[in-house]
Order: sequence, then C-alpha cells, then structure tokens
Amino acid sequence: MNNQDNFIQIQLEKTNRILQKKLERCQNERCQLESDIATKEFLLKKVICELEESQTDLQQRSQDLENTLNSLHNMQAQMIQSEKMSALGQMVAGIAHEINNPVSFIYGNLSHLSQYTHDLLRLVQLYHRYFPNPPAEIQTERKTIDLEFLEKDAIMVLQSMNIGTDRIRDIVLSLRNFSRLDESEFKAVDIHEGIDNTLMILQHRLKATDKSPEIQVIRDYGNLSNVECYAGQVNQVFMNILVNAIDALGEFNAKRTYQEIRDNPCRITIRTSVVDSQWVKIAIADNGSGIPESIQKQIFNPFFTTKPVGKGTGMGMAISYQIITEKHRGKLEFFSTPGEGTEFVVQIPMQQQVSKVL
Amino acid sequence: MFQVVVGHSDDPDSENAIAEVLQECNRPLRGSIPQAGLLFTAIDFDHTLILQRIQDAFPGIELIGGTTNGEISSILEFQQDSLTLMLFATDEVEIWAGIGRGASKNPALAAQEAIAQAKAKSASTPQLCLTFPDSLTSNGVLILEGLKQSLGEHIPIIGGMAADDYTFDKTYQFFQGEVLSDSVPVLLFSGQLLFSHGVASGWTPISQRSRVTKVDGNVVYEIDGQRALDFYQHYLGEEGFASNYAIHALAVFDDQDHFYMRAPNGYDQQSGSVTFFSDIPEQAVVQITDATRENILSASETSLKNALADYPGVEPTAALLISCAARRRILGTLARLEYQLVKTHLPKALPCCGFYAYGEIAPLVGKGQTQFHNKTFVTLLMGTK
Repeated sequence: MNNQDNFIQIQLEKTNRILQKKLERCQNERCQLESDIATKEFLLKKVICELEESQTDLQQRSQDLENTLNSLHNMQAQMIQSEKMSALGQMVAGIAHEINNPVSFIYGNLSHLSQYTHDLLRLVQLYHRYFPNPPAEIQTERKTIDLEFLEKDAIMVLQSMNIGTDRIRDIVLSLRNFSRLDESEFKAVDIHEGIDNTLMILQHRLKATDKSPEIQVIRDYGNLSNVECYAGQVNQVFMNILVNAIDALGEFNAKRTYQEIRDNPCRITIRTSVVDSQWVKIAIADNGSGIPESIQKQIFNPFFTTKPVGKGTGMGMAISYQIITEKHRGKLEFFSTPGEGTEFVVQIPMQQQVSKVL
Repeated sequence: MFQVVVGHSDDPDSENAIAEVLQECNRPLRGSIPQAGLLFTAIDFDHTLILQRIQDAFPGIELIGGTTNGEISSILEFQQDSLTLMLFATDEVEIWAGIGRGASKNPALAAQEAIAQAKAKSASTPQLCLTFPDSLTSNGVLILEGLKQSLGEHIPIIGGMAADDYTFDKTYQFFQGEVLSDSVPVLLFSGQLLFSHGVASGWTPISQRSRVTKVDGNVVYEIDGQRALDFYQHYLGEEGFASNYAIHALAVFDDQDHFYMRAPNGYDQQSGSVTFFSDIPEQAVVQITDATRENILSASETSLKNALADYPGVEPTAALLISCAARRRILGTLARLEYQLVKTHLPKALPCCGFYAYGEIAPLVGKGQTQFHNKTFVTLLMGTK
C-alpha cells in the first residue's frame, strides 16, 4: 500500500510540475499569439494596399494600351482614307484641268461662231431681199436645206451649246473647288459654295433615274460670312453626310410602294444659320427612316457601318467627327427619330484661334 | 541489425525526465548496447546532468544533439519543455560523432574539425551526415560550406540549427557528455544504411518584389535603396517587427519562379540593418513571406511523401523530423497536427524523433546539393536492407 501511495505521490508531483510549466507557457504563448495576429493583420493590410495600387496601375496600363491600340487603328484607317481622298482629289483636279482646256477653246470660240453665224444669216437675208427670184438651182437648194428652219435652229443650237459649255465650266469649277488641293491652311471660305459644289458632284445621285426617284434638295441658306476652315476637309464632311443621307433614302425607298414615294417624296433639307457672333450652324436633314436607337451610340465609332461589305469603310462619320471636333474645335451631333428621318448638325466657329488648336 | 529506439519525457524536472527517457529506451533494447544517439531538449533543462546520465547508462556513446524550440517523437508526439532521445543499436551501420568549436570565429574551420574528428574514428566512407550547429553565433551557410568541403558535395547533410525558446539568446549543442555553444556537432553514418529525404515549406511570398541593394554576407543594409529595417517595419509595423521578424522570412528568388527563404535573427536600430540566419546575395530579388496553417501542414505532408517515394528499401526503420520554429509558432495548437499528419503515412510502430529548429539543412531534391533553408519541414527516413 505504501509503495502504491508513493507511486501515486510521484505521479501527482510530476503532473503538477508539467501543469505548472504548461500554464506558464500558455500565458507566454497567448501574448505571443496576440502579437502574431496583430503583425499579420498589419502585413495583410499593407499587402492589400499594394495589390490595390498594383491593380489600379494595371487597369490604367491596360486602358492606356487599349487607347494606344485604338489610336493606332484610327490613325491607320485615317491614313488609308486620307490617301484615298488625296488620290481622289488629285484625280478630280487632274480631270478638271484636262477638261477645262478644251472647254475653254469651245467656250472662247462660241461667241465668235455666234457672231459669224448671225453675220452670215443677215447676209443671206439681204440676198433674199434684193434677189427675190434666184435661179432654179438656188431655189432647189433652199428647199432642200429648209433654209427657214436652219435660220431659226442655228441660233438655238448655238444657245444650247452656250448653255452646255457653261454647265461644263461650272462642273469643272466645282470639282476644282471640292478637291481644294492647294489649301492646307485655314482659309476664310464661303460655306454655301462648298455645299453647292458637293451637291453638284452628287447631282447624278439626286436626279431621278430608272431605278430611283428624284431626291429634292431644299437649300435654306442663312446670311453667313465666310468661315475660317480647312475647306477641303469641311467639304469632305458635307460629302459624307449627304452620301449617307442619299443611301438612307435609297434604302427607305426600297421598302416603300410607288404611291408612298409619290405621297412623301425623298427630301434633303440643308439649313445654314448664324448661332451667335462666333459660331455658324449647318444642318443637313433627310426624311428617311431614321437611325435605329440601338446603333445610335455607334455612329461616330471607327469601322462602324450598316452598309454591305465593300460598300462602306465605316470611317466616314468617324473622320467627319474628328475633322469637326478636333481640327475645327466644333461640334457634330445628330438627331434621329425612327420613321421621321435624321438631322446632322455641324457647328463650327467662324474664326479659328491657332494657339488654341495647337 | 539496425535497431532504433526512442524515449520522450515532458517532466520539467531534468533528473526525472532523463530517468523516464532511459527507461523507455532500455525496454525495447532488451540488453542491446546503442552505439550512437540524438538528443533534443528544451532550453531550460539541466543539460549537463542529462548528458551525464546518458553517459552513465551507455558509456562512450556517440551522441550529438541540441536545444530546440519544440520536440517531436513517436512517444509523446509534439511537445514543448520536454526531452527526447533516439538511440541506434546496430552492427550494419557505423556511426561516429565529431565536434567543431568556435564557429563564430571560423565557421568553415569548425565544420572541418568536426568532420575530421568523426572520420578519424573509421576507415569507412561516410554515407550521410547529421548536424545541429549553433544558430545564433555563426552563419549557417558558411558552416554548411565547410561541411561540404570536408565531406565532398555528393554526401547528403541533414540537420537543423539548435534553437531556444524564441528569445534568440543562446542555444546549446551536445557532444558525448559535453554541453557546448558556438559549436558544430556532427554524426557520420557509413555502411549499409538506406535513407531518403524530403523538404517542403508552404510559405508564400506576398509583398511587392524588391531588390537587395546593400548587403554584407548575412547582414542586409538596404532593400530598394532604403534601410532594410525600414523596409521590414513598413510591412510589419515597428512593434510587429520587433516581436515577429523571425516568422516573416524573405523569399530570395533564384529565378522568376523559384525561391529559397532567409529568416531574420536580429537587427540593428542604428545602422538600420537586418541580420539573417545566413547569406543573401546582393541584387537578389526578395519578397516578404507569410503562411497559412493549412499550407504549412500540407507542406509537411509533402515533405514526408517525397521522402517515402524516394526510400530505397522496403520499409524504413526510423524517421528524423526537423521543422522550423516559425512553423510551430504559426501552427500554435495545431503544431501537434504536423506530426499526426505525418504519422498517418508511416508504419505505426516506426520510431520517430525530431525538433523545431532555427534553420534547416537538407538537399531540396533527392541527390541534389545540400542547402541551408528556413521555414521548411525536413524528413529523413533511415533503415537497412
């Protein structure tokens, strides 16, 4: 019994020693643990901050890269477009020049020809008055050539030729003005002239053909002073807006009956006005089907087009937007009501301040 | 014959504890005399008395060991404030101990002396070296370099740096009957020993990548051009750094994806330098690390699985487990799980012994170069045919 008591005593003493040691350690380790947790929290907060910074940084870099890529795409597309426009401009200018020379011969000689014809006809009439009974051979020839008709018609032919050459000269002048190859700087120009030139070039698409009815053009021009701009580029904007309007009207017609087209003929209305002492406004509206709301936000996006593959580059409106907003510090916006039509409104300052543009 | 026995006592009284341990070891030995042993004890035992009792029981035993930050065995599993002894009784394997002194003055020379002393006791070529050097007086990498030079680079070295109770004050090493500091004890194995090893960490780099811009050996002065101390305090806070710097080691990157770890063991307020357990190269890319308890436990399991997969024999006779003190600290009450998890992959009766160290030594892969690392779990499986 004593031995067993002794053993129990020894075991109890050992357990007591162990428990005391463990208690001591427990206390120490609790403090240690609290300190560990505090440090860990501190570290994690720092790392979370760093990660957030790094994430923001990455997002910024990603955005920068995306912007750069978009700029490059735009630049590439603009270069292509600009090359095309430049080539087109050169061609137009070349054709205009080549036509201008022969037309000038005709135009310059027409007045002489008219004078000579009048002189000759007067002489024939004098002969007729003083020799009312000419020999039979002359009388036969008079009848053969129908001298009376010839006398009247020759004058009309000459008048018709005069009108024709005038029109050719107008077209040539429009082509030269439209291409404006010589103008790389701001120049005060007549905006109406630019619009008219553009309409002249698009005349073939506005007139009635076998396939499409006529598109009426209503010019409601305000009293504008000359506007400082890159004339060639502004004409390009008018061209883009008008071509889109003509295309939209064509598509609209394709869905309408003959009667519907007769009741509500296609129309493009061009209104210009002075906004205030510094700004002018050019509004070009069509009465087509309007732009669906779902794509309205994309109209000025590069490469956005509703036209079939190969028909449109999708750059027209993007470039127009850039020409107006960036190069002329103006505004280009549109208002479209499905079923009623679309109106593009260009607003540009009458005078460009070079320092601001730079 | 290659018999391995283990004893483990959590009695805080040194006399009682060693008596209990020797009793536990003697039972399965059944009269066999062990030639060598490993002793791991908590810092506040009477180590001289313990060694004396072991020498009394087994005179002339080739024994090495050291103080720890926690002890492990197959008897009491994970413990603190305990002592554990592993003994080898064998006629198939030769085991010889050596000691190198004055590691702080010349770590390489101390290492060479230790190896020379152990080698002098046998003509056999060593197969494996175990070592438990002082962690606070010298530089682990330099000690390891000295050991490698003396042994040859192809001999694996497994070990851990002796530790204390997170006071970073003083550690002790054991050699035969001597209690030492600033020393390098080694135990060389030669003969028919079969063994394999595994290492894993579980630590993850979490801060931004930075570059070490001024360093002298294991003393880092500047990181990213700012004082190393400021760099650490930025992440851990001033108080947090002072009490927890050893836990948040630096991941030192070998390349973009692979890193090893270096844990701080001191700092100097005036110069703003942080001292590490071993060297960090200048211009090295570093990150402060952290670990979750889940990752630590999973890594311990990986370490054992790797060792088991590489074991050349049928079944190991014993296992030596060396884990980092920082692992124990983060694991807290889950530290016992580290051993329990490992145990599930080992034969039930396999004698295991180990400790929590201030730096581990082992090749990172089988047949690879031995390296010094922090925050790892090292498994060594031993046996014979």
